[in-house]
Amino acid sequence: MRNGVDREIPEQIGTRDVRPYEGAYATVRTDRKVARHQKWSSPQDDKVLPSIEAAIEACGLSDGMTISFHHCFRNGDRVVNQVLDACARKGLKGLRIYATALFPVHEPVIEHVKSGVVARIEGSMNGPVGAFVSQGGQLAEPAVLRSHGGRWRAVEAGDVEIDVAFIAAPQADPLGDATGIRGKTPCGPIQFSAVDAQYARKTVVVTNDLQPYPVHPFEIQAAWTDYVVEVDEIGDPENIVSGTLQLTRSPTNLRIARLTAEAVVASGVFVDGFGFQGGAGGISLAVTKYLGDEMEKAGIAAGFAIGGGTKLLIDLLHRGLVRTVLEGQAFDLDAIASLREDDGHVAIDPGFYANYDSRSCATYQLDAAFLGATEVDLDFNVNVNTHSDGQLLHGIGGHQDVAAGAGMTMITVPSIRGRLPMILDRVTTVTTPGEVIDVVVTERGIAVNPRREDLKDRFEAAGLPVRTLAEIREEVGRLVRPARKPVFGEEIIAAIEWRDGTIIDVVRKVEGWA
Amino acid sequence: MSVRSGSEAKGDCLVEVADSADGLEVATKNADLLGDGIRDVVHEVLAEVGCEGVALRVADFGGLDYVIAARTEAAARAADPTGTGRVTPAVDRIASDRDRPRRSRLYAPGNQPRLLAGIDVHGADCLLFDLEDSVPPAEKAAARILVKHLLAAVPFRDEVWVRINPLELGGDADVEEVLLGRPHGICLPKAESDKDIRALSELLARVESDLRYDEGSTWIIPILETAQGILHSEAIAASSDRIVMLAFGAEDYTRDVGALRSRRSLLYARSAIVAAAAAAGVQASDTVFSDVNDDDGLRKEAELGRELGFDGKGAVNPRQLPTIHRAFSPTDEELERARAIVAAAREAETEGLGVVALDGRMIDRPVLDRAKRLIKYADRLSEGGDRDA
Repeated sequence: MRNGVDREIPEQIGTRDVRPYEGAYATVRTDRKVARHQKWSSPQDDKVLPSIEAAIEACGLSDGMTISFHHCFRNGDRVVNQVLDACARKGLKGLRIYATALFPVHEPVIEHVKSGVVARIEGSMNGPVGAFVSQGGQLAEPAVLRSHGGRWRAVEAGDVEIDVAFIAAPQADPLGDATGIRGKTPCGPIQFSAVDAQYARKTVVVTNDLQPYPVHPFEIQAAWTDYVVEVDEIGDPENIVSGTLQLTRSPTNLRIARLTAEAVVASGVFVDGFGFQGGAGGISLAVTKYLGDEMEKAGIAAGFAIGGGTKLLIDLLHRGLVRTVLEGQAFDLDAIASLREDDGHVAIDPGFYANYDSRSCATYQLDAAFLGATEVDLDFNVNVNTHSDGQLLHGIGGHQDVAAGAGMTMITVPSIRGRLPMILDRVTTVTTPGEVIDVVVTERGIAVNPRREDLKDRFEAAGLPVRTLAEIREEVGRLVRPARKPVFGEEIIAAIEWRDGTIIDVVRKVEGWA
Repeated sequence: MSVRSGSEAKGDCLVEVADSADGLEVATKNADLLGDGIRDVVHEVLAEVGCEGVALRVADFGGLDYVIAARTEAAARAADPTGTGRVTPAVDRIASDRDRPRRSRLYAPGNQPRLLAGIDVHGADCLLFDLEDSVPPAEKAAARILVKHLLAAVPFRDEVWVRINPLELGGDADVEEVLLGRPHGICLPKAESDKDIRALSELLARVESDLRYDEGSTWIIPILETAQGILHSEAIAASSDRIVMLAFGAEDYTRDVGALRSRRSLLYARSAIVAAAAAAGVQASDTVFSDVNDDDGLRKEAELGRELGFDGKGAVNPRQLPTIHRAFSPTDEELERARAIVAAAREAETEGLGVVALDGRMIDRPVLDRAKRLIKYADRLSEGGDRDA
């Protein structure tokens, strides 16, 4: 069947019945969220176990069950691999991994898939695991990619039932209160796992810094935690700073950033108290910096910014240019220190900022957001999941949630990377539909979605270079011969969920080239 | 060492002449997507230079078509130095106006594809592709071929220039090659006398004639960067109708005269250039400011340049353009004043008055002319598109 972004999707993916994407806000649910598991304890209970293996036994983890993780250590994570190794030693098979995201450090997952320990993966796959899954035929069911909010929603809705949540916790107490902003190796807020901790049949806090009761802030609460395990290592905080978190020095990217900041200033939302989303990625960081300069010049301050906490954003907080930073995840150590020290800096969870099935969420309060893209097409659809060769590359992150929520959603993307044009007739995969994208900023000009004539008028009045996507695509087309395109077969590698649980696209196995 | 052209840098491509005649090998990160397109470009170039038999190994690192074409041509020609074939692209660029605004001249190194890709988007008034100081001797031949292909492939909105080497150091070969890409003009470094300009002008006339361009359609910017050049600036400025602007190069100048670089040490040279340019009715462009991170220092130096009478300034990084453009664009107050002067003149004319007065003060003819020029200049700038550009 064809869904609302004109993508061919099947009625069934693996064992799952597909609800097709019909529109960014088409789903209205009137049923109930699922109930959480009953838990009980006596005042004398001892939750501390000597090892991950002991926790696996205590939780009754068995073949085919679902285990979950957060990604707050990003490429420095040590918990996923430890738990999977322990599962392998226990002879477990057919597990489903429900991680928020996997990174290159999780390459050993591939061996666990080959040996049958892992049968299914749902969550972002950055790097080798994505490339492996793209080969097809590896998983018992196609992978499922969800946004931050979509992942949270799927648990509450009962789409995914977690059997055991393993939560890497930089500091915890023996009852299982835990935080990510203190301890020997802080990684920033770990509230991505708050929904796992509440809904999982069993919840295990894995820490390398066990401290006397009470450890706070209570990002993970003793009330939800079944067991606590102390290990030597849970992650390397140096690696939460990834390569995408350096301020860009490329003249092309700096031009995109400058045009984006100027477009925000010209858009009409740039007034005292406005809210913006400051992401990671070289261009977004530069936009944040330029916006700070513009606010200072105009004598205004942002009411709030949603991060990706970064040193840059914290600098704006300290300079009084942003009054409140709402932080879902920390991207560097400065952001973590600020969470401990700054009054205006608040850790938030995806249920708070991104959940479709909720009465409100923080991204809906955003006036402006700037997000990256791998590809954009003439309908303003955005792909962040696959490379132009059809390989699964990246997760969704908060892309859909922010794009759907912000008053003005801007995509910042170079018109060409190497020899590959980034503005296409049709994106390889639709991650985020054009209906929630307002503006695309490239170094060759700013394209405005036809729905937003108001913005086009404002940009033109400000002397900004407004172009159409077709013009930009055509200009780039003169610099390189057209690339070949992947030919997709029938096998589905991954399903891309829209944040409401409908299927916006599927990633099929590449069979050849045209 | 084998015959090769290009490099493994991002945005470039390395073309090597293979020992055995086993045709064309292409390596690229996205071979399935991009291999065919690269092969097409290589084959077309080899056919045009008459080297179809040459076996090549092409390693691509994200080079655009014109980069691959240039590297292929350079390697093929190096493999067969006796051959006369070369790529003569079709270019439809037309000559630029003598008096167009030239607030900025942005330098880009002529043999670094990564820095050339996208250089057209920043809105520089003049782009200067450099074959001189930024290109090591061993790369000069490849650089002039690359700049030719770049000029031909990209529909630049900016005015495009090539800084050649001094004529006796390969500048003649530079001109022969890059004029095929139809630049608007040639920058001559270390110009020291009217003879230098006449030699370049004669060379340009010959190549223009060979290529059937209109004679005199290629402009010249002499770069004055020695004591001789400064002392002869008046004669240089007046030596050819091709000259539209004089440019100052402070680095070489301070070295030549033994000065430390400062506002004071450069004052004479700067003022001499401004006066020589004004006397000849051409524009004057100040030296580059090389600390890319010091925006405040750049702003101050640009404002000084404007104060001294320069029309523009050199830039070494696109980030410097907004600051330079702001400094050399008429301010709102200046424009307002100019419009008031023109309005007063119009009023005086309708009322048949011989004397123009504004706010009780008489307006001389030169002041009125200057006001009109300023308004015209501002109009031309606003046609340019980008607010900052």
